[in-house]
Amino acid sequence: MAEFDFPMPDVGEGLSEAEIVEWVVAVGEHVEEDHPVVVVQTDKAVVDIPAPTSGRLVAQAARVGEIIQIGSNLFRFDAAGAVPDLGGHGHGSRVTAAALTEPALVTAEPSLKSAPKPKASPATRKRALDLGLVLGDVTGTGPGGRITAADVEAATGVRAQSASTVRIAPTRSTATVPTHVRPPAGDDRVEPLRGIRRQIARSMTESWRTIPHVTELREMDATELVRAHLTLRKHLAEHDVKLTLLPLFVAASAVALREHPTFNASLDYDNELITYRARCNIGIAMSTDEGLVVPVIHDADQLSIEEIARRIDELAAAARSRTLTLEQLGGGTFTISNYGSYGTWMGTPIIRQPEAAIVGFGRAKDAVVAHQGQAVVRSILPIAVSADHRLNDGHHLGAFVSTIERYLTDPVLLLAGRRSPGGS
Amino acid sequence: MVVGEIPVLADLVVVGAGPGGYAAALRGAQLGRDVVLIDRDGHHGVGGTCLTVGCIPSKALIETANHFEHAKNMAHTGLSFVGAAVDMGVWQQWKGTVVDGLTGGIRHLLRTAGVSVITGHAQLSRLDQLVVTDPIRPLALAQYFQFNDLVLATGSRPAELPGLARDGISVLNSTDVLALDHLPERIAVIGAGYIGLELGTALAKLGANVTIVEYGPRVLPTMDAMFARAIDRRLSQLGINVLLDTAAVRFDNHVLHLSTGDTTSQIEAEIVVVAVGRIPNTDQLGLDAAGITVDERGLVCVGADRRATRHITAIGDIVSGPALAHKATAEAAVAVEALCGHPAAFAPTTVPAVVFCDPEIASAGVTVDQARAAGRDVGAVMIPMGASGRAATMDARDGFLQLVWELDSQTVIGVHIAGAHASELIAEAVLAIEMAATLEDVAGSIHAHPTLSEQLGEAAHLALDRPVHVPNHVRR
Repeated sequence: MAEFDFPMPDVGEGLSEAEIVEWVVAVGEHVEEDHPVVVVQTDKAVVDIPAPTSGRLVAQAARVGEIIQIGSNLFRFDAAGAVPDLGGHGHGSRVTAAALTEPALVTAEPSLKSAPKPKASPATRKRALDLGLVLGDVTGTGPGGRITAADVEAATGVRAQSASTVRIAPTRSTATVPTHVRPPAGDDRVEPLRGIRRQIARSMTESWRTIPHVTELREMDATELVRAHLTLRKHLAEHDVKLTLLPLFVAASAVALREHPTFNASLDYDNELITYRARCNIGIAMSTDEGLVVPVIHDADQLSIEEIARRIDELAAAARSRTLTLEQLGGGTFTISNYGSYGTWMGTPIIRQPEAAIVGFGRAKDAVVAHQGQAVVRSILPIAVSADHRLNDGHHLGAFVSTIERYLTDPVLLLAGRRSPGGS
Repeated sequence: MVVGEIPVLADLVVVGAGPGGYAAALRGAQLGRDVVLIDRDGHHGVGGTCLTVGCIPSKALIETANHFEHAKNMAHTGLSFVGAAVDMGVWQQWKGTVVDGLTGGIRHLLRTAGVSVITGHAQLSRLDQLVVTDPIRPLALAQYFQFNDLVLATGSRPAELPGLARDGISVLNSTDVLALDHLPERIAVIGAGYIGLELGTALAKLGANVTIVEYGPRVLPTMDAMFARAIDRRLSQLGINVLLDTAAVRFDNHVLHLSTGDTTSQIEAEIVVVAVGRIPNTDQLGLDAAGITVDERGLVCVGADRRATRHITAIGDIVSGPALAHKATAEAAVAVEALCGHPAAFAPTTVPAVVFCDPEIASAGVTVDQARAAGRDVGAVMIPMGASGRAATMDARDGFLQLVWELDSQTVIGVHIAGAHASELIAEAVLAIEMAATLEDVAGSIHAHPTLSEQLGEAAHLALDRPVHVPNHVRR
């Protein structure tokens, strides 16, 4: 029997923390290898953390609702057999993992720990901590593989000469010092900001603070779109697909993105790099009881309307049952908000970092408009596109919206399939 | 709501004024926080177990005992004393001066840092509130403190044995022993951990007839066996009777009843000292009110930044790790910095352990057994302290120094010392381990002659197959 501390593993996607959702195993209970011990929620998904080996849970290092950093102690475990090699479990941080490895206690003599740690001086470790760097991931170039201060600086991309100007924000910089807080009074109710709501709050704040948004609002003549939709819906109903307008929006957005690659891009402002995405992965904003989630239709430009419709149904079902996978939630390059589905006319959508633009579709409704010199009733669709003004100017945005409009007002064009980037 | 329940708003509250708590309070003040330090004994509690009834008083006792023992046994070096004697009453006064001087210094630091010291027993009443009651005047109005951040540093207390409950008269704990103003003739010490061993050795040197009763198979049962081997001979030289694999059952009419396997025995003793470990002071903290759980040993579960909740941290003897003052002090800075929003993690490579027995024992980093159990390939050399010229001139040739290194990187990962001043010598080893020094780093650092510290340099040379003082050394 051997006790060891199990750090919060890196669950991928570059996430730095996770929230405890549920302890599946109680303190003192036995659990078999690979059976879940605790359920955590990251910014992307709910993830089961399995037991690294068979044994007994000795202690839980955090309670439900607590937020725990990747690499910090998650639970203490008493292995039935040998202590497993935690390095093989995708553990990013050996710094903190090793910090608590001893079973020594208050009731015992001082005892010493034996797990290997990254070789670095205390000053170097402090520097890594300040920079939010996991020391276990840094390659040491010093004697015996020692990690030097220079190795840490190199790993963060921070050069000594620019250290005074480059600030790396701590993970929870926005959360530590609330700017405007009025203490609760009377019957006010206070609850912690948790779960999806917390993630939404964070990503919205970051996006709003970082991206200079420019939004274009436009009303489009959707009469032909509505007609095409009716025809297609009848046709696809025979294939058990219930078609809404959304798959058509996805298809139109995908072809428009192909023609305007600066809207299917990411800006890395710190390093002054623009990445043009080869794939066209369109996220669909969906509301759930807990809040907004954005699953992604990957390679939307390669899919037929029917395939897109089926994919949306799958993602919606997974969102409702909270079984979306990290893969379904990751990799988005552009986002659609279909706020018309709950009656909204116009909105000013907020871009999902690190994307460059987002489109919102309002509710289409009949209106009396001038059409070919006559006052006629047409179906009018309001759309709003918000773009990162650092990447696109007003005329780029206008051109992008016009492309979407062209495909939606004349949906037959969607049959032409995707065009090569830069085509008219 | 009654008047007493109107909470006092407090920014950073620290509970417990020991080496963890007072350090946390001072660090908090340095970082610009308004700090309230609450201790059961108020200003008298400043310094905690360590300064008032633990490390410092026991070292004062050990120092006096060592001098007395030397005075009786230096005749072969040409030095002898006539009428050397120990007066425990005078020793108590001197110890009091030492403790008062040190705690007075800390009180001064707290005062100049603007830390308010409150007397009372603090208990969490909810996630962000403490209720503080006066243990002396239980009927006095309780005070409520609503805090922004909290550091729990309540330490530990001596554990008791069933059948041997402390009465403070004939069944004593370590605190009681250090308050003795006379030396009992026959003393039984239960427990050969570091506390029992330190006290038992000192009491024997002062002239008492000491028996140490240990339930385990060797003294210092939780440390590597090499340490027990190093002190066994000295224990018998000092006339200390060590009973291993033996349980203390009860004590009445100055007779201590023992059981070893199937056999029972008795020894006479004026007093019994129970030193069977310490238990964390987490049971009366109201942790439930804040939703904080403890493990089966009563220890608060914390993350690397010592947080138990977002605004509550715990440090020292009430969290995992060795129950040592220097660990608590190091954790204090981490906890307070984390609460102030700074990146912070308690992640030392080693927490050194020192035992003031005879010879002294000090250990930093991993032992060979621990390293091999963890699957690491390590090398180790052990050299006798008796080979040191300085040790010879001190007439203190007992002990050894063992150096453990990682084979592939040649990094020093463990140093274990038994010998005179081992507690001081370990500092260099801790620095080497924390800096991830290699054997060449240690061997290439010139050690002053003649000092005990030369042995670490010599061990590094031996590890590198080029020792100066090992006869006929054959390169491996």
